[in-house]
Amino acid sequence: MKTSYRVSADIGGTFTDIVYQDVATGRCGATKVLSTPDNPALAVLKGIDQVLSDNGELAFFVHGTTVGLNALLTRKGSKVALVTNENFRDIYTIQGNDRGEIFSIRWNKPEPLVPLEHTYTVGGRIAADGGELEPLRLSDLDRLVAACATEAYEAIAISLLFSFTNPAHELAVRDYLAARLPDLQIVMSHKVSPEWREFERTSTTVTDAYLAPVVRRYISTLQSEMGDRLPEGGALHVMESNGGVMTAAAASETPLQTLLSGPVGGAIGGKALSAATGRGNLICVDMGGTSFDASLVIDGLPSTSNEAMLEGLPIQMSVVDIHVIGAGGGSIAWKEAGALRVGPQSAGSKPGPVCYGLGGTEPVVSDANLVLGRLDGANFSGGEMKLDRDGAASALAALGADFGMNAEEMAQGVIDIVNAKMADAIRTITIQRGIDPREFSLVAFGGAGPAQAAALAEELEISEVIIPVHPGAFSAWGMLQTDVRHDFKETLYSFWDMIEASTIETAFEGLEVKGRAFLSDEGITGDRVSFERAIDFRYYGQEYVLTIPLAAGPIDMDRIRADFDAAYERQYGHNSPENRVEMANIRLAALGRLERPENAAPERETPRPAREREVWFAGHPRTTSIIDRNSIGEGDSVRGPAIIEEVTSTTLLPPGWTARLIEGGHMSLSREDAA
Amino acid sequence: MSIADPITTEVVRNFVISCAEDMNASLWRSAHSAIIYEGKDSAVALMDEHGNMLGQSTGVPLFIGAIDVCVRHVKDYYGDDIHEGDIFIMNDSYMQGTHLHDVTAIGPIFHKGELVGFGAARAHWNDIGAMDPGSTMSSTNIYQEGLRLGPTRIVSRGKRIREWYDHLKLNTRLEGATIGDLGAQIAAIRTGERRLGQLLGKIGAETYRAACQNIFEQARKMDREAIAAIRDGTWSREGFLDNDGVGTEPVKVKLTLTVKGEELIVDLAGTSGPVAGSVNCGASQTESLLRLAYKTMISPDRAITGGSFETMKVILPDECMFNAREPAACEWYFTGLGLLADLFISCLSEAMPERSTAAHYGDSMVVGFFSVDPKRGQWISIEPTAGGWGGRADSDGESALINLVNGGFRNIPAEVMETKFPVRLEEFSIRPDSAGPGKHRGGCGVVRRYKMLEDCYGAIWFERSKTPAWGLNGGGEGKGPEVTLSFPDGKVEDPLKMRARQLPAGTVVETRTGGGGGNGDPMQRSFAEVARDVSRGLVSRQAALSAYGVAIADDGSVDQAASVAR
Repeated sequence: MKTSYRVSADIGGTFTDIVYQDVATGRCGATKVLSTPDNPALAVLKGIDQVLSDNGELAFFVHGTTVGLNALLTRKGSKVALVTNENFRDIYTIQGNDRGEIFSIRWNKPEPLVPLEHTYTVGGRIAADGGELEPLRLSDLDRLVAACATEAYEAIAISLLFSFTNPAHELAVRDYLAARLPDLQIVMSHKVSPEWREFERTSTTVTDAYLAPVVRRYISTLQSEMGDRLPEGGALHVMESNGGVMTAAAASETPLQTLLSGPVGGAIGGKALSAATGRGNLICVDMGGTSFDASLVIDGLPSTSNEAMLEGLPIQMSVVDIHVIGAGGGSIAWKEAGALRVGPQSAGSKPGPVCYGLGGTEPVVSDANLVLGRLDGANFSGGEMKLDRDGAASALAALGADFGMNAEEMAQGVIDIVNAKMADAIRTITIQRGIDPREFSLVAFGGAGPAQAAALAEELEISEVIIPVHPGAFSAWGMLQTDVRHDFKETLYSFWDMIEASTIETAFEGLEVKGRAFLSDEGITGDRVSFERAIDFRYYGQEYVLTIPLAAGPIDMDRIRADFDAAYERQYGHNSPENRVEMANIRLAALGRLERPENAAPERETPRPAREREVWFAGHPRTTSIIDRNSIGEGDSVRGPAIIEEVTSTTLLPPGWTARLIEGGHMSLSREDAA
Repeated sequence: MSIADPITTEVVRNFVISCAEDMNASLWRSAHSAIIYEGKDSAVALMDEHGNMLGQSTGVPLFIGAIDVCVRHVKDYYGDDIHEGDIFIMNDSYMQGTHLHDVTAIGPIFHKGELVGFGAARAHWNDIGAMDPGSTMSSTNIYQEGLRLGPTRIVSRGKRIREWYDHLKLNTRLEGATIGDLGAQIAAIRTGERRLGQLLGKIGAETYRAACQNIFEQARKMDREAIAAIRDGTWSREGFLDNDGVGTEPVKVKLTLTVKGEELIVDLAGTSGPVAGSVNCGASQTESLLRLAYKTMISPDRAITGGSFETMKVILPDECMFNAREPAACEWYFTGLGLLADLFISCLSEAMPERSTAAHYGDSMVVGFFSVDPKRGQWISIEPTAGGWGGRADSDGESALINLVNGGFRNIPAEVMETKFPVRLEEFSIRPDSAGPGKHRGGCGVVRRYKMLEDCYGAIWFERSKTPAWGLNGGGEGKGPEVTLSFPDGKVEDPLKMRARQLPAGTVVETRTGGGGGNGDPMQRSFAEVARDVSRGLVSRQAALSAYGVAIADDGSVDQAASVAR
């Protein structure tokens, strides 16, 4: 009999992480393979072959991809022509006209994805109420049609004023162009983002047009490479920026949604961990060798936004908030005016830390960790790379000489500085939301997270650290924990006291029809379908909105208003129930439940022979025992100092800390004095 | 004297920066007025017990310097009578610079009964009881501009002083928002107090003080090295404001800059004396602007920690619009500062040719429309307008960017404006040929054309037509600002400044902001760059020929034979 597996792949720049779950037992395993950037499918297939033995079959496959993001970052998307209204040609290049660096007179706006010379205008104008002010002058478009003979455009983005109220002009422009340019992809702003603010909507539309061909090419390649490995029906799922998943077909329709597909897995893993362990408030930190991201789970839900900024350009879409904290392990230690600094410059992965031996000469945080014995130089990334401790030590000693410090003292100093800095950055994110980090548990994952987590928690005065199952592949694990999700929205502006509940109900029902159609195309129907409604509100006179979720059932105007006042109080510490309120947008999430087994804790294994290593704590080397994570039983407690090893990561348990297993096989570290 | 090792010093240095950010986050989070939490018209600072600046976070770049001076005023006034839990406020234009709208709250921070520092939070209050709601455009003395406060204790040992709170409430049209914003400022100070308390609990006050001394010393050293590295010399420049806001005469602004070894001296001798209108500015804010200009050239990337700016000496004549004394009006104090910054940067460009940057379009260029109607109640749409920035030694100036003294202000989208207000935006575009020509040209200004759909009021404050953005090193000057009012009856006017005035439905207001100055000889700009500017509509074919000597053919290519050789 064949064994069925649900499999996820987190395709990163260096490694592709694979997590697989036995459908019958709910048990998960993880592995890492080197990524194959030229054809990401190769690494995925290699990983799948490793974990599925001959009698294994794929029941479900989901992956997170950075293909779209990389195309954006390296400016390797398609060549796009933009169509705007007459007299508004420059909307996309003027942008918000604010200055990104307020103390710089040399700051330049982010380079737009479509330069001005590829922007074409068309006469005609829709008014705020949707009425036609001036008829469309389609003959203006002949200039674009003619230009296509020489310009090699791959896609056209159409973004006209008030198309979210009345799309007639955008549709007419599309029809005119499609009839004359049948081979070009055409993207309309009212489809991509039916939301007001012309610059932001135009930027969103252009980005979609810019990425669409790239993402579609990638998905079709992956689909054909995976061929018969895919489950029956061939469904390949892709992680979305909003934390849900979608089928490959849906991803080809809405390529933008794959943009932040990679890093959200960790936040969704945090949500599942919150549900499994009963801890509502989590700070999730993902620390790789050279990167450090943080996300928040509050009352069991990941914190989200309705707009993302990428390369300084706005994109109107629902995203899980991922905060890039800094370079983490790659931060360079350096000298300035007789003072010691760490970061913000990073050595990245090339040349990388001194200890990689790839030409790096400036010591970084990872070098300090190695010198203090916190990284295993002989067994780094599964033995793929040997680390040069002597090289790291001499670079640190050279820097320390000016301050009268030896290599180990310098290493400890570098780590103290970077931990304090990271803790400061995390604290600022929480204070912005009116949260005290001390009431949160710190969830640490990524290759380097579990080694730094306890020290970071001490800085933040957090008393519990959770090292989840498969910490080195936790984002991939998170991808197995989510459902299908599609977000829909519509700008419906009104004073709250001047709109009828029935108007709002009708608008939501319109979005639900769209949602059902999307899910049905993905084979999800009946009671597997559900909806979540929300409305963007603000007090009259304000600009920013708060998105307020609606309870199920008929629309209760008074209750929604009260919920807004309460949410405002939570966010800002005060509210104004006596003030008028405006609504700006309605939002609908269409959810499709996926069948999945309960997660089971990993199976306990027999410990390997006792091992130990010298690790520096508080300025002194201590002999520290090495423990296999999978040999820790329920009810066991491990006292620090200890090193806890597993396939994808290494946890450092400092003196004074204790580790024990909790629900789902996750591991909790706590300080004895805090208990 | 205790010492702090380099590790502790760096941890403390990072702490003071982060602590200031947390204080500002706390202020923005709990402020009641949109101008603070959206416009970010605020600044916070953490200082040592003498008022020396340690960490600072600001939403408005102009607030970079003038907060520490408030602590000194509080200390001078109250001496030893400063206690744990106290909060002081002040807004006097002559003490702290700026206009009376900017109210600074200051609180001492104690650790184990000992004074260890001060926290301060400045925020813009929308109404401080002036002759007109919001910003008056016609004041000629400070008494018309609102309630004026020297250092004033409003919270004593953690307890609000009721009569002072009542006094504030009685002197504003916006009682609720005003008291709410004050509460947010106090919350910011308390955040700083709590964060510093946590740090001192770990490392102790002695080590903290020693680390602060190291931080001051490092910052001084970096500044001295930076100034020592640039060319010695004396440079002088002058320009004119269009008028003082109430009169018609141009107002002269002159700046002389000397670099001598490790010192930089700025002298404003030759600048106009106090003026009748409200473009006067208190000395502290003048110095603050000069610090901002200094920072843009010397250390734009560096966090503002203690000791910065000690290498700069400012000399202000007694009778000077930038050294405002009672009863000079100060409401529009920032208008002259944009010009002053350009003069400073141009002078320093001589000493630092590799960072040379020509003048920018220069002022906030404020346009406002407002009225009262049954559906919306009282409505107001007010915004500063972007313009062109100066060409640099190695690259073009940016187009359509907000002015130097502002930072985070964004334009109001047409779709938001037209949905909310009876105003239609008929055009928002780059203003062609507004940039000063140059090897590295200036940036372009913008065109914004509004049509009134109902009767309403409008007000305009534009500047810099008498001294538009000048070029450097042979670069040309940018075009100045222009405003055209077309009334439904066919009458046309072109006022750059306009006090609140009724605009009948159908009136069209077109604003055109200035471009930035060019840098370097335009005849050295490459054919390809000129052709690209033409294809992007930033430069017309006529201007390509007249300003750059480049003939562009009908197909957009360069007619080399008809062009001036490069």
